[in-house]
Amino acid sequence: MAVLEVRNLKKSFDSTEVIHDISFSMDEGETVTIIGSSGSGKTTLLRCLNFLETPDAGVIKVRDDVLFDSSIPESRSEEAIRKKRLHFGLVFQSFNLFPQYTALENITLAPTLLAREDKSIDATLIENRAKELLSDMGLSDRMGNYPHELSGGQQQRVAIARALAMNPDILCFDEPTSALDPELTGEVLRVIRGLAKQHTTMIIVTHEMSFAKDVSDKIIFMDKGIIAEEGSPEEVIDNPKNERTVQFLANYKKVN
Amino acid sequence: MFQTVTLTLLEGFLQTLRLFVLTLVFSLPLGLIISFGSMSKISIIKAPVRFVIWVIRGTPLMLQLLVIYYGPGIIFHANVWGSGDGGRFIAALVAFVINYSCYFSEIYRGGIQSIPAGQYEAGQVLGMTKHQIFFKVVLLQVIKRIVPPISNEIITLVKDTSLARVIAVYEIIWEGQSFIKSAGIIWPLFYTGVFYLLFSGLLTILFGHIEKKLSYFR
Ligand SMILES: Nc1ncnc2c1ncn2[C@@H]1O[C@H](COP(=O)(O)OP(=O)(O)OP(=O)(O)O)[C@@H](O)[C@H]1O
Ligand SMILES: [Mg+2]
Repeated sequence: MAVLEVRNLKKSFDSTEVIHDISFSMDEGETVTIIGSSGSGKTTLLRCLNFLETPDAGVIKVRDDVLFDSSIPESRSEEAIRKKRLHFGLVFQSFNLFPQYTALENITLAPTLLAREDKSIDATLIENRAKELLSDMGLSDRMGNYPHELSGGQQQRVAIARALAMNPDILCFDEPTSALDPELTGEVLRVIRGLAKQHTTMIIVTHEMSFAKDVSDKIIFMDKGIIAEEGSPEEVIDNPKNERTVQFLANYKKVN
Repeated sequence: MFQTVTLTLLEGFLQTLRLFVLTLVFSLPLGLIISFGSMSKISIIKAPVRFVIWVIRGTPLMLQLLVIYYGPGIIFHANVWGSGDGGRFIAALVAFVINYSCYFSEIYRGGIQSIPAGQYEAGQVLGMTKHQIFFKVVLLQVIKRIVPPISNEIITLVKDTSLARVIAVYEIIWEGQSFIKSAGIIWPLFYTGVFYLLFSGLLTILFGHIEKKLSYFR
């Protein structure tokens, strides 16, 4: 059964339509990567899924829950949107850790606040789970450090742990390594590879083509607000059929 | 003589201190409300608030004191400030509160707007409420950023209180000056300077301490 289904999603800013008409679905435990040139709408798509932007039209469905359907007028109250957001996690390009909290506190803050209103969450388990996540990220010895005391790669791994701590159904990454030096990129990609091995359901926007090729179950190529091509890595990267995909990959090879 | 001067100056200093403390008590919170007005998305709120801030920051506090003290009586023929020393003090306080609220509001606005959108968004995607994001994530970062400009402004206020004399509020310099006429001596004026130096020195140490307390993060 599809864990996520997106149908006919559209989003404009002012009068320019950034997402034209996007439909796709993914299964539980799959890793989907989204590639495409700058301005093609990849970030906007992820922001729509995380309700940081409200789509103009379309349907977003997680399992049997319709989270968004533009044809049904419904409450857009902050409360309602907050609950829907928890189906998704988002790791930002610029980490966005909270500077006044330690690595560990960054992870425990949101679950602790949530446990105050949702009594079914056992607050005593939060800290241990956070420590576990940090050690999975290879950061056991960095728990008490503040973000400015960590390297970019370490900050991004804390951000990944922070997102995982909310147990999202689908974890989204928006160019998680674009702000990192090449030597730090590796350590973050390694962590994401590990998550893929454990069948974490993920959508990853990336420009790291070889990483995309070996981590993905499915690759989506976006161009000017539409999905121009999608399929297995072998289909999209090794045997692209769409003219735009061919061009994009050729440009990409030239640069590298 | 020294004792008489000290006692008189202390009396003046008490008045200075009262004006200083009460101005802060009212203008620090009022400034926050004004800053929300100046950041409002509704332009019929934002525009007039920005206009008032522009006028207040663009004209001398001395002028505002005179207008606020004499204005109501001359324009409306109403004695809103009450009579005597107390009335003049209230008029001075009102002028100081208006003036400093506007300055503080601009500092708050700068502080709040300097927090990157990513901090709010990170809180949102973690399912935090607006309220939680403001109090748990943003507030301390804003405070850290505004402590240096606020402390500058507060030390300026220490010295600005002396302007209240233009509407005959008997603050410390007024008292010091009175000895020139009555006793022909100038040193009480220098003595008032010592009061200011000690007071602003004390505040500088206090704010330095707060800044250091907040230096554990960036
Ligand atoms: N808030 C906004 N207001 C107006 N236009 C926007 C806004 N956000 C994005 N856009 C525009 O939408 C288009 C798609 O942007 P988006 O950030 O989704 O692209 P992207 O595929 O993520 O690009 P990149 O690879 O550079 O990150 C761009 O032309 C951008 O200028
Ligand atoms: Mg982007």
